[in-house]
Order: sequence, then C-alpha cells, then structure tokens
Amino acid sequence: MSTSHSKKAAQFLSNPENVTRHDKTFWGLRQKRDIQAHQLPEWESLREHASQIKEHTLTHLADYLEQFSDNLERNGVVVHWAKDAQEFNEIAYGILETHKVRKLVKSKSMLTEECEMNDYLIKHGIDVVETDLGERILQLMNLKPSHIVVPAAHISRHDVGKIFEDLGISKEIGNHDPTYLTQCARYSLRQAFLEAEAGMTGCNFGVASTGDCVVCTNEGNADMSTSCPKLHIVSMGIDKVIPDLDSLAVFQRLLCRCGTGQPSTSYTSHYRKPRPDGKMHVILVDNGRSDIIANPNHWTTAKCIRCGACMNTCPVYRRSMGYSYSYFIPGPIGVNLGMLRNPKLHSGNVSACSLCLSCDHVCPVKVNPGSQIYTWRQELEQFGTENKEKRYMAEAMRRVYGSYTIYDAMVKKASLVNYVPQKLMDIKLNPWAVGHTMPHIPKKSFHEIYRQAMKELDEEKKKKG
Amino acid sequence: MKKEQLFDKLRQGVTRQFDMPTQPVDGIVYPDVVQQFIEMSKTVGSKVIEAKTTDDLNHIIRNAYPEAKVFASSVKGIKADLNPDTVSTPAELNGTDVGIVQGEIGVAENGCIWVPQTMKERVVCFISEELVILIQRQHIVNNMHEAYKRIEMPEKGYGVFISGPSKTADIEQALVMGAQAARGVTVVIVG
Repeated sequence: MSTSHSKKAAQFLSNPENVTRHDKTFWGLRQKRDIQAHQLPEWESLREHASQIKEHTLTHLADYLEQFSDNLERNGVVVHWAKDAQEFNEIAYGILETHKVRKLVKSKSMLTEECEMNDYLIKHGIDVVETDLGERILQLMNLKPSHIVVPAAHISRHDVGKIFEDLGISKEIGNHDPTYLTQCARYSLRQAFLEAEAGMTGCNFGVASTGDCVVCTNEGNADMSTSCPKLHIVSMGIDKVIPDLDSLAVFQRLLCRCGTGQPSTSYTSHYRKPRPDGKMHVILVDNGRSDIIANPNHWTTAKCIRCGACMNTCPVYRRSMGYSYSYFIPGPIGVNLGMLRNPKLHSGNVSACSLCLSCDHVCPVKVNPGSQIYTWRQELEQFGTENKEKRYMAEAMRRVYGSYTIYDAMVKKASLVNYVPQKLMDIKLNPWAVGHTMPHIPKKSFHEIYRQAMKELDEEKKKKG
Repeated sequence: MKKEQLFDKLRQGVTRQFDMPTQPVDGIVYPDVVQQFIEMSKTVGSKVIEAKTTDDLNHIIRNAYPEAKVFASSVKGIKADLNPDTVSTPAELNGTDVGIVQGEIGVAENGCIWVPQTMKERVVCFISEELVILIQRQHIVNNMHEAYKRIEMPEKGYGVFISGPSKTADIEQALVMGAQAARGVTVVIVG
C-alpha cells in the first residue's frame, strides 16, 4: 500500500534527529504565524477579502492581464508572453543574448524552478548566480529546494560550512557559525551583483491598475540584483496579477505573516519603470495556469500566493520533508499543483495527508488545500492511479457491512484470528501489519454482551417487580 | 504565444464570475500610532531616534555612527562624502558605511517605511552597510491600507517599503542581520 511519498518519507524518517529538527523548524514558523494573526482583530476579515479578491481576479483574469500589460508598456516595459516552460526559457535567453549578458544574478523564483530555467541558461553559456542565501547554498550543492520560502531548511550548518570551505567562500576552516557563513556569502555575492550585466526577479504581485511588479524579500537580494545591472527581467506566472494597490495592501499584510511569522518582509519593492538608462522586460508565463483556472473542481488552487503556511503547519510535511514529494513544490499545495500538472506522475503524493485540514485553517486565501486533496482521492480511479488493494478491501467491506447476515457470521468467527501466529500476519500480503500489531479480538462481540446485559436487566426488573 | 489566444482561453474557461468584496477591510488603528511605530521598528531590528525639527540631523547621524567614514546621501541638508545623484555607476557606492535616505510614509503595524526613488542610483538604499531613514512624525499611519492610499510613485518609477535591516534565517533558522543589503537601520523620526 506504500505510495511514492511514503517510501521516500521512510528514508527521511530513518534519521530521527533530522526529523525532530525539521519538525521543530516548521512548527516554530507556524507558531510565529499564530502570534501575528492574533495581533490583528481583522485577521479573518483579511483572509475572506483576500479569498474574494482572488476569486474575482481569476474569473476576470483576461481583463486584468490586458490592463496590466497595457500599463507595463505605457511605462516603457517590454512585455513577453510564454505558453510553456520551453517558450519561457527561449524568451529569457533571447533577451540575455541580445544584451550580450554573460552573468545573470537572480532572486528567488519558483517559476524558474518550474521551467528549469537555470539549467537551460547554463547550457547556453550564461553564468547564473542565485542570490537568495538558501537558493545559493542549494545551487552550490547542486540540490533542489525542499520548501518554497525557506528552501534550504533541511541543510545543516555543517554541510553549508563544508561546501563554503571547499569552494573557498569561507576561509576559517571549521567555523560553521551561521552569522559567519552568512557574511562569507555576503562578500562573495557582492562581487556577483557588481559584475553581472542583468538581474532577474520573480514577482509576488503584479498590480493591474498601475503596472507595478511587486517583489517581497528579506535579504534585499532582489533589489541588489536590479539596482546594479542595467537590465532587469521579471519572470511571473499569469496568476500573480491583482486588481489595484488597495488589493495589494490586503495581500502584503497576509503574505509574510503567514509565511515566516514576520509582520512584513524587510523589503516590499515596487518596480514600475526601467531605470533611466536601462531596460526592463516582463515575461508572463502560462505553463498550465489557464488549464487550472478552467478546471471546474480545482480552479481555486490558482488562488495560492505561495506563502508556504500550509507546509509549515502540515504534520505530514514536517515529518517527511520536501524531497519525499514527487513534485517540485511540496506540502499540501504542492500535492494539489502536482495533480494539476500531471496526475499520473504525481498521484503518489495524494496519500501525504492525514485530512486534519490544518492547512485549510491557516491558508490566507482559503485555497483549502486539504479539502482539495480529499477530492483528488475520489478522482484517482479516472487516472488509473488508485490503490487496487484498497479498492478490493473497500468492495469487501461494502459487502460485509451491507448485510446483517454476513456481518453477524463474520463477527461470531472473528476471534479465530487470535489463533493465527503473529509471524503469519506480518507477511507482505497484509499491508496493515506494517507499523501495526494485530489487535486481540474478544470472543464475545459488543452486540452479544449488550444483548445479554439487557436480558439480565429485564430479568432483574421482573424479579423486583 | 499570442496574448489574444491566452485571453480567449481564459474567458472560455470561466463558467461563473465573482465580484470584488464590497466593503473595505477595517484595518487596525492604534491609540498612539507613533509609539506603535517605534515599538514595531525595534521589533523588526531597527534603532529609533526621535528628533525635533530644530535639531541638527547631521550631528545626530554622526553621533549614531562615530566609527563610520563614508557617508552617502542626496537628501537636502545632509552632509555626505558620496552623492547617489552624481556618481557615475552604482558600484561607486560600494564601500559606503552609512547611507541616508528620506522616507515618505511610516507604517505602525509593521515598521515599513515607504522610500521612493528620488536619487539617481537607488542602490544607496541597499549597498550601504548601515542605512538611516528620515521620516516626519506626522507621516506615520496605522496600517498598509492607509499607506497604499497615500503612496505616490516618483518619476523614476521605483519605490520600496523598508522594514528593518536585511535579514536571513536560511542557515538552520538562525536569524542573521545583513544578508545582502544593509546590516542595520536607524529610523530618525523628525518633528
């Protein structure tokens, strides 16, 4: 009955120390989120507004994209449209090639992960430098993010120290203090910012009424990436557009409080025009988003603002880590996005949910990722990815519980199971035995005991009466 | 991809359209907005200095950073060694100890300060080791709803809300100030 997620999770669980650290890290973020939420009496109203604004925007998206791109062009920004990852990579490379860019500094963007842009650009000879510290560590270690907001949370300070020593970024051998290592990265990246001919950022929010591309960072790396080089490329999914600055206020207040439990990111940067002597390009990417919006059962998944709150709170994510999921975005929202991308490939993640629905309760835009996962489980048969054993078991249970005769007969004989040796029960054919001890089944069922007790009670009453 | 194709697909994919919420959010209002702004600025890692309109700001800034050698600013009346308006490249500002910029709106709920790009090279806000943001006492508002109603984008088309110094917790969740941009921020409230 093991799914791809549960098999990979078992590997992660083999090191209890790592599991505890991982679990505590993300539960800590969840607790910080709660503290922020409790400080605002209007919290629930904010969530409801955010949800309604997203529902409105997604169901009027063509109009808002039109307004957004018109404003971008009016502001002197060059707008590109990419149907899929391939088109996106080609456009990005085309812009860099035209401007003879050799080194590109970029801030964090899950879209470029989705399109595997770095590999594409590096193959074409561009030196791509990730500048978010977590992303930079992963790039140097040749690893993928395990979380969308804190991508290197699964890496220990010692592993960071070692890779920095190997690459000459850190000079003090054996000094694995996070402050020291962060300063080492700062010096190394400072050079990259000054040398690069282009900077790329993602976009948290595109404001239709003004054409602002809004980027939220704590490190200031998006701003370093775009204040030094003259060329700025913004890569954004079409789902990032929101109506106006009043809407932005709602999302800005929620994003960071939900994600990291801070009242705001250190920097909320608004890019409206290219620098006076520079160029600004915005690449708007579909890559399946228009299909999500057209999906009658799951279109609300497109409301997600990628804060990461659902991962932080998820008991399964916290104890299984991002790499246990087959899709590059893990956790509750990642399970959903993976199913929307390719259900056959990513059905193995749908089991990574206890249906506690904690994610539904913390999601700032009410995507309700847990409830969505429940719906996906009902749909697995369409893709031929449902668990066959479970289907047979369900069919058998339907027959037993659907008939009093069969049920009573089964219950009467159930205690015979006690005589089967434990070893025989542990065989692989009985997946239930994995992680469980067989219960001892009493000789008399509750029904029998109840009936007998009632009978005795009646007799006593008669005697007294 | 042609945008018209995308727009057609998006319009056809929607079966039911939703309206915008009719009522605005009732944002939090503080009994003492300046006091809340000061507390929140400290929470996000800034130092706060309150100054009178008649105070000598140059004196206050020099006092706050007695060790600093290179000051950079284009704010009128502020003495500096480098001027982001007149440097020929952003790289010339690398090595700035203290950058001084003018903030337009302070936000009490989260310590954000709106800094519009009035200077030629905005990198001064990020490349300086320490950043001083000047803000008028009467320009402090309660929350982001109020702030977004008031912000004005400058001609240069860039503005940023800054809430404390550059920070990261990417290595084992240990909070470190000064990831890529300013290691420290001092907010000077004037008035």
